[in-house]
Amino acid sequence: MTCSDEAIPARVVEVDGPNATVEVEGKRECVGIELVEPVEPGDTLLCHAGIALEKL
Amino acid sequence: MKYIDEFRDGELAQKLSHEIEALAEPGRQVKIMEVCGGHTHAIYKHGVEQLVPDEVDFVHGPGCPVCVIPMGRVDDAIALAERPEVTFTTFGDMMRVPGGRGSLLEAKARGADVRMVYSPLDALELARRNPDREIVFFAIGFETTAPATALTLLRARAEGVRNFSAFCNHVTIGPPLRAILDSPGLRLDAFIAPGHVSTVIGTRPYDFIVEEYGKPVVVTAFEPLDILQAVVMLLRQLRDGRCEVENQYT
Repeated sequence: MTCSDEAIPARVVEVDGPNATVEVEGKRECVGIELVEPVEPGDTLLCHAGIALEKL
Repeated sequence: MKYIDEFRDGELAQKLSHEIEALAEPGRQVKIMEVCGGHTHAIYKHGVEQLVPDEVDFVHGPGCPVCVIPMGRVDDAIALAERPEVTFTTFGDMMRVPGGRGSLLEAKARGADVRMVYSPLDALELARRNPDREIVFFAIGFETTAPATALTLLRARAEGVRNFSAFCNHVTIGPPLRAILDSPGLRLDAFIAPGHVSTVIGTRPYDFIVEEYGKPVVVTAFEPLDILQAVVMLLRQLRDGRCEVENQYT
């Protein structure tokens, strides 16, 4: 969804190169992490449109 | 999500609501524009309007990229989507937005290859898997969404993917705010600025609102307590005669 330009905080489960698997409310998704590297499992990332915008 | 209950706590909301009532001056109408569509959504979803006195009005702002896209851009998107070599990818919420010649959903029904994606990275993956197709991504959105498009284009270039392109319609929040502030007969007292856009651009791009137009700004997150707290902060600025860009976003 682009409407409202809202981002969602998600917890990192696994890091794989420029991508990370994150968990949001029990669901897992893959996001690009180039903008916030380095990232470790357990970090919380603010994600929107399949990428991490900020490390929280 | 962690802390979501804390940011929707009914007792705290009542407390903030009383504080707003105490700050509101009887007979003096305060009009606050929430810039972002996410705030508008939260205000209606949680009934925030019912928690503020009649003296405080929310004015809904321009910050929904889907709502503000010119019809002509939708027509251009449809023209691209109808080319036989093109697979056109878009966020789901753009599918039903009408242009002058209908919507992308209607173009799809007529036979155009239109696909919904959650991320431009999904569109890039389609390009990798379908080297014989031209994959076009309908890039729309404010500063929160633009980084995803940029990152995807960088990846496409690095990998040498030649059949991927973006139809760029990204917008920034500064110019529409200036256009609003320049409109004749404007009756706005303060602004609730978008939280997530500000994680990308910071707070400095709002300085002109306080410096040139003398309207207080509070960068605000998206839960009901955030919005109520922002109203308290804005009313305090107005009461004290201050005019600053403050950050409520936690």
